[in-house]
Amino acid sequence: MNPIRKLFIANRAEIALRIVRTARRMGIATVVPWHATDRHGPARREADETVQLFGEPPVSAFLDIDGIVRAARDSGCDAIHPGYGFLSENAAFARAVADAGLVFVGPGADVIERMGDKIRARRVAVQHGIPVTPAADEADDPAGFAERAHAVGFPLLVKGAAGGGGKGMQIVREPSRLAEAIEVARRESERYFGDGRLFAERYVERPRHIEVQVFGDVHGQVIHLGERECSIQRRFQKLIEETPAPGLDPGLRERLCEAAVRLAQAAGYVNAGTVECIVSPAGEFFFLEMNTRLQVEHPVTECVTGLDLVEWQLRVAAGEPLPLTQAQVRWHGHAIEARLLAEDADAGFVPDTGRVRRLRWAPGPGLRIDAGVTPGSPVTADFDSMLAKLVGHGATRELAISRLALALQDSVLLGVTVNANYLARVLRHPAFVRGETDTGFLERHGDSLQPEPLSDDQRRLLLAVAARALPDPTALPLPEPYAAMGAWRN
Amino acid sequence: MNSFRFEGAGHRAQHEPGSDRVRVDDCIVTLRPDEEGGFVAMLDGRTERLQAVADGDRVWVHWRGRAFVLERIDPTRSAGAGGAEAAGSAHAPMPGVLVSLLVERGQAVREGDALLVIESMKLQTTLCAALAGTVAELPFAVGQNFQRGAVLARVHPAQAAT
Repeated sequence: MNPIRKLFIANRAEIALRIVRTARRMGIATVVPWHATDRHGPARREADETVQLFGEPPVSAFLDIDGIVRAARDSGCDAIHPGYGFLSENAAFARAVADAGLVFVGPGADVIERMGDKIRARRVAVQHGIPVTPAADEADDPAGFAERAHAVGFPLLVKGAAGGGGKGMQIVREPSRLAEAIEVARRESERYFGDGRLFAERYVERPRHIEVQVFGDVHGQVIHLGERECSIQRRFQKLIEETPAPGLDPGLRERLCEAAVRLAQAAGYVNAGTVECIVSPAGEFFFLEMNTRLQVEHPVTECVTGLDLVEWQLRVAAGEPLPLTQAQVRWHGHAIEARLLAEDADAGFVPDTGRVRRLRWAPGPGLRIDAGVTPGSPVTADFDSMLAKLVGHGATRELAISRLALALQDSVLLGVTVNANYLARVLRHPAFVRGETDTGFLERHGDSLQPEPLSDDQRRLLLAVAARALPDPTALPLPEPYAAMGAWRN
Repeated sequence: MNSFRFEGAGHRAQHEPGSDRVRVDDCIVTLRPDEEGGFVAMLDGRTERLQAVADGDRVWVHWRGRAFVLERIDPTRSAGAGGAEAAGSAHAPMPGVLVSLLVERGQAVREGDALLVIESMKLQTTLCAALAGTVAELPFAVGQNFQRGAVLARVHPAQAAT
């Protein structure tokens, strides 16, 4: 057992605050780092201690393994929680933390190496009978590539092995078009990536992205806490996540969760992890990748299980057994999370920056808001554009949707463009309400997700209000302790 | 008189002091402040609640779950500038950092030619020439940060250059 008394949180914004609160409830002291461009983080105000990190660009401060380990040791911490993003899936970081005699709140470096790498994780999955999308890698046997690609089956995706972002990708629906597609994909792949090597895999039409929350302890126990559906994505980034996955066949859910636990067991998995899968409309599922950390969307699982996943992470890291057995886990109701991002969703999701000039979260039952900004917070291009997560929870999916949509509508955040209204429009879209979620949802329904045009009367009303608007006095001055550090003011 | 640019058009809105009346273009809109720092108005028999905050030359308005940005304009300032020269300037759509320059000063460009690449919030964007001409100015160096609205490149129109 390694009791944790003082925890260093190698992160910022909402997740740092969320971890501080659980640690405090468990009687664990916290240390939160900050960067000069990011002094307004709410976690700083609630943490027991703060440490300034340096680096340019600012994000590099949170990626500096030596600097963070040193800051944690110098402040007398005995453990480091990486949060998500930054160094959370970095095996070298996990190893450096352990080498410094500190507890890494997450799986060991060897497990991160094994499961964090897509190709290696895919191999582990195949070894343990977990389905992966059938695929053919040209590098294995270049001469037989076309034949092996054909054997994978159709529709087939032919893409550059070095590629990404959709470039050089060919979808082949007819076997007769395979030769031509290989030629085009090779040409494009050479042009974009300077590497014409190809990879072919089964193309899943209208795929749903469904993931399973797993948890393992050092005593060899692994359980799951159910699935989350994360199909509502733009540019491969999740916007809305929910649990349970709407309309998922109970038998399929069971097979999915069982496979995830089996994979985690095979990997010797310890602490919180997520097994991501794609599910086809026909109900086939394929392992995609494993995330060896806490997920952004973990609150929906917490809402329906009543558990605190960060508490579990800390207890497991301290060497305790999992607090519950699989049979003791219970799920209640439905929870949906929406990510509030600083971007103009109606102008092609272009990011925006500014300063939070007015902020009012809508209160209400069945609502959880994890926010990383406070009135006056600058929103810069230095860090991720996610400002907050709003979660609606209720006995039914309909109730969770209504609560979340109302919260998005009634919350006020002015001073930087956010996607609140876009998220509410998605939640209220008839196809979303019917549970027709797949990763192509936002693109397919783009036209019906447009905002309603304003009438002349409405436009005049907005202009009239604008004529009477004043600067917001509450958002202008910096909070006292920071304002005192005159030299640091922007 | 307050002038605004909103949804691509210019408007005028003036609060009549000591009253609840605001003259918007040629109409009167009635609204009063509420207890929460916002405003209440009636529209088509329905009570509307709005929040607004001014931030430099922008005014943010929150209404029915949507946020709108109205730009305050100074009519004396916008009259002089403009024309082809202003049209040839590439402005930063958001604050960020200059990633790469694809052209050099003095280089001839066609309309739509890529000028430079910027990065903001992990997103790279290529800015293109709005008209054919000659690259006259590239005020920023690769790696430098800039604010929203900064002129990142100036292109002199083709006729003016020859």
